[in-house]
Amino acid sequence: MNTHPFRLLETGYHNGCYNMGLDEALLESVAAGAMPCIRLYGWRPAAVSLGCFQGIEEEVDVTACKKHGVDVVRRISGGGAVFHQAELTYSIIMTNTHALAEQDINRSYARFCAGIIEGLKLLGVEAEFVPINDILAGDRKISGNAQTRRMGCILQHGTILLNNDVDLMFELLRVPPEKMKDQIIKDVKNRVTSLRALGKDISMEEASKALAEGFRRTLTLDLSPADPTAAEEQRGRELAVEKFGARDWLYKR
Amino acid sequence: MKIEALGKPAGCKLIRITAELDEGIIRSISIRGDFFASPEEGFEKAEQRLSGTKAAELGPRFDQYLAEEGVEAQGISGDGLAEVFNAALKRSIL
Repeated sequence: MNTHPFRLLETGYHNGCYNMGLDEALLESVAAGAMPCIRLYGWRPAAVSLGCFQGIEEEVDVTACKKHGVDVVRRISGGGAVFHQAELTYSIIMTNTHALAEQDINRSYARFCAGIIEGLKLLGVEAEFVPINDILAGDRKISGNAQTRRMGCILQHGTILLNNDVDLMFELLRVPPEKMKDQIIKDVKNRVTSLRALGKDISMEEASKALAEGFRRTLTLDLSPADPTAAEEQRGRELAVEKFGARDWLYKR
Repeated sequence: MKIEALGKPAGCKLIRITAELDEGIIRSISIRGDFFASPEEGFEKAEQRLSGTKAAELGPRFDQYLAEEGVEAQGISGDGLAEVFNAALKRSIL
């Protein structure tokens, strides 16, 4: 079976603006011909990321975020607001013409999320994909995912929750009751789970290893551990300041 | 008349709308929520083009403009947008 060469970039912990800047820099780089990649990373300080089309004031308590030292950043992908604290985040980036790139977005989510489900299985957790973009373990959300397409590329990023401070999460996020309308579990605080809540005390390193292996198996990848290039990191820093750190972008809606 | 709407129609993500309505014509509209649309710039153009649209035609015009701008969307549709808008309009009239 043919394998697909991908870079595996474990980029450690960064702040929200750089994390989103590096994701976009990698997308630009892959669009310009660089090898596709899977990036694994964390957030320090903790951050709330807002979906591209969400209104900041109605979704996030910015004052509470400041009080708790939590960054707020707007993603280039759609979806809902996410509190990134004790979690592993991934991004997977390839061109639209790559053999693994499904043109249908719903099928594309299913394909990439299969890697996460496999990774969770390696950690002893049975989970299932629920369209459009969620992964549930026992009816509770353990992974949220968001995909965007631009510059001839697909970027999907998402999370696996290692642990979850639910009270702080819902102090920072404003979740209207309407959001839970079609969910099995109506109580927003009970809707989310984490590996810790499922009795799995998993480190970032263990989760990273399992997720990389999950993607490798389900997508038949030939993974080459690497660092982002100096140019990708430089562009990530530029985007962190000029785009993701700019008030115009953060408050655009 | 200002319309503030919030809803989650079947098959859609959460949709929020703020619109200015004058004699059945949408003068301005802002569409927010946790839906997906690529490319983002195309969505913004489609949203801007809705200004001047008859409120009764919001759904089909939204679908038309998304298609014309080459936008692929998940979690939002013309029918879903119109449902949220019309429910708020009905409440504001009653």
